[in-house]
Amino acid sequence: MATLQKQIADKFFEKLAHSKEVDTAQVDELKALFSNDKKVKADDLVKIFSHPTGGGGLK
Amino acid sequence: MMKLDAIHIEEMRGIRKLDIDFQQGTFAISGPNGSGKSGVIDAIEFGLTGQIGRLTGKGTKGLSVQEHGPHVDKTKFPDAAFVELKLTLPALKKSVTIKRKVSDPKKPTITPADADVKAALAEVSDHPEIALSRREILRFILVEPAKRSEEIQSLLKLDEIGETRSALNTAQNRLQATERTAVAQVTSTREALQRHLQIATIRPEDLLEAVNTRRTLLGLPSITDLTADTKLDEGLTATATGSDFNKESALRDIKALFNAAKDFPELLKVEATAIVAGLEKLEGDPALLSALQRRAFIEKGLSFVDGPDCPLCDKPWEDEDHLRAHLQEKLAKSAEAKKLQDALIENASKIAASAIRVAGLLTPVQKLAQTHGEVEGAQLLAAWKADLDSFRSKLQTVDDIAGQKDRLASSWLAVPDKFSVALNTVREKIEAKPDQSATLAAQTFLTTAQIRLADFREALRKNKSAKIAAVAGKAAHDVYSEVMEEELNALYEEVQKDFSTFYKAINEDDEKTFTAKIKPTGAGVTFDVNFYDRGLFPPAAFHSEGHQDGMGVCLYLALMKQLFGKDFTFALLDDVVMSVDSGHRYQFCKLLKQYFKDTQFIITTHDRLWAEQMKSAGLITGKRSLVFHSWSIDGGPIVESNEGIWQEISAALGKNNVEAAAAALRHHLEYAARHLAGELVASVPFRSDGNYELGDLLPPVVSRMKKLLGSAAEAAQSWGNKEAKETATRRKEELSAAAVASNVEQWAVNKLVHYNEWANFGKKDFEPVVTAFKDLLACFRCDKCDSWLYITPRTNPELLICSCKGVGVNLKPKAK
Repeated sequence: MATLQKQIADKFFEKLAHSKEVDTAQVDELKALFSNDKKVKADDLVKIFSHPTGGGGLK
Repeated sequence: MMKLDAIHIEEMRGIRKLDIDFQQGTFAISGPNGSGKSGVIDAIEFGLTGQIGRLTGKGTKGLSVQEHGPHVDKTKFPDAAFVELKLTLPALKKSVTIKRKVSDPKKPTITPADADVKAALAEVSDHPEIALSRREILRFILVEPAKRSEEIQSLLKLDEIGETRSALNTAQNRLQATERTAVAQVTSTREALQRHLQIATIRPEDLLEAVNTRRTLLGLPSITDLTADTKLDEGLTATATGSDFNKESALRDIKALFNAAKDFPELLKVEATAIVAGLEKLEGDPALLSALQRRAFIEKGLSFVDGPDCPLCDKPWEDEDHLRAHLQEKLAKSAEAKKLQDALIENASKIAASAIRVAGLLTPVQKLAQTHGEVEGAQLLAAWKADLDSFRSKLQTVDDIAGQKDRLASSWLAVPDKFSVALNTVREKIEAKPDQSATLAAQTFLTTAQIRLADFREALRKNKSAKIAAVAGKAAHDVYSEVMEEELNALYEEVQKDFSTFYKAINEDDEKTFTAKIKPTGAGVTFDVNFYDRGLFPPAAFHSEGHQDGMGVCLYLALMKQLFGKDFTFALLDDVVMSVDSGHRYQFCKLLKQYFKDTQFIITTHDRLWAEQMKSAGLITGKRSLVFHSWSIDGGPIVESNEGIWQEISAALGKNNVEAAAAALRHHLEYAARHLAGELVASVPFRSDGNYELGDLLPPVVSRMKKLLGSAAEAAQSWGNKEAKETATRRKEELSAAAVASNVEQWAVNKLVHYNEWANFGKKDFEPVVTAFKDLLACFRCDKCDSWLYITPRTNPELLICSCKGVGVNLKPKAK
């Protein structure tokens, strides 16, 4: 059944794919998390968004 | 989803044992109140979901399937109470049997136990909303917007969406808190670097100028470009990089700490005081604190209020209104608490940032103490720094902040008693050190600069990561919220459109221009309907109760269409249009036929007229309907058309209760005559009110059957079928004899034998009447399957048959 939850999730990922703020790897991880039958938890989301990124120093 | 073929019920609710063949089609069960109709709905619902809506949810405290699912005489033997459903799963093209016992409702026996079958049934069991009763439809109509929103969200299973958004929001908040900490770390490490380099800004040219001055002194090449790989002490020998102690820089670190210490007593005192005041407000108003902690709990509880007993604590109240007012007051307090919570966290964030800065000042001094033999001082400073790190990590939530109240009330920095002594000791020790040579000073300057630049860069890197994470978290939350809002708005628009279409279909005679507005607003869903083009009003404002019932069912159907789409193949409607008048009920039948062709509805009604209307509208057939005559605690529903009625009459006569026996016989004859008039297409004088009496129906039915049997004999004659002719003739003679014995044909002319007089008969006089009518009705039934005979086709009939085809009387003569 095409549930409203799935519709929202699909559109969410479609829009997120065009977002500059969230990278592709994170979107993929979010997809995996959402496709899981379990409820989405804040801890898992924090882990996904907190991937170390390089750079940032004074030059 | 599914279609229901048949059900077998044993010892469930008011039913002892009952089988119904639904034939995968819309099916009606009619009967007076208390005849056991809803017991069938309960049994179907239980078979499919393991739940019984009437025993769960609002107003059902103290009720349970385990205790109150079985027949009242079997409450101690729940194992005896079970339901067996035969159903078809169209998508899988499979026929399935599911048997569910009250004693173990979560573990049905499914045959075949295929994985796809189990998955399909698990999905069905997750949708108790397939059953709708009248009291449930009103929850969509006669409620305030917030409650309606909850009901609709619950029906459409939107809770999960809300929970996902909440998780994204929590993640966003945590990531922002991490970013705040990272920003404070950047400030602290930058100050340490600037202090060492003695530069006012952190511009690369200023940094390189300070560094190159020392490098030139040491004969090292100047650094012209500051890159990510640049090492400020590059070129120093291993020996020279062995120490990073630079006396001048060390003294500046100590001085910075001294200067900062002057402000320690007043450091963010305003913010700390505000936090303490906020916490005291919470403590002084336990209801406020409780409301904050239990906000979600109370919101849920409010939705369960159904009567004067509090669903959260069982406390009885004067009435439901007082209880609601009490809970609303608690919610209002929690809104105030939420505001307070935001202020507490904002002030706590400032204090946490300040703690990071102080810890940053302590770090180099503690290291100096360590490396210069001031063990006690070093330990003191290290312990304080660790304490500050621990303290600031406990300023994230209100509960944590509350745990730090005493500290915030006194001096949150918790400066150790011997701090000044320790700091002075370290300073004296450093000051006592001989001045470093220019070369050594330059060497250690570069070494320390490199260490602090590395710390600063690391802080910047962490800050950048934290910022990126916070931005990503916020973006994800915002996108999800935006999509969710768009989809919900679209959903409500669709629901609004379907609802209006359905409602207009029922009320096309008087509300052709009907419109409705269903809109999510904040936490609620507003629902207004047009009243004869005079404007939009709440449903209960001007519309009648019957119209409100109609609205409730239409909104339910619109929501179910949204929820299941093409999979909306099954629903239970338990007496849902009881307040709708007969004209609009007929329209409702048409609505179901026109817009829900593929949906099987099991409909119960206490109104026999509506049951008849369903037949005449073509929504159901005679075979896809059942009439419950009455109900007894020992036998359960008495289904009209079975032998139970004769047992009931016999029992009444056994108690010499002729009045009850007469009433039962008359009731049964009314049912049978009405049914047979329809099935045999008897010529009954039309009545506009539909209130046909027994005298209007039975004589034409007898006459019609005589005529049909006469036609059968003639047809048999034309075919030269002697045996069939004899059978038809014999049937007609038996019918005639029974008709004479029952006096049914004399009702119009002889008042003394009229059924109105039965109640005045004596037992001995009435017993032959019962026998006569039993014999008479037997002429209209099949001996084998006990079903009523009917003709087919209804116009120019060719056959008089029964359900099992055991009776199959040809009516069509041989063509001449």
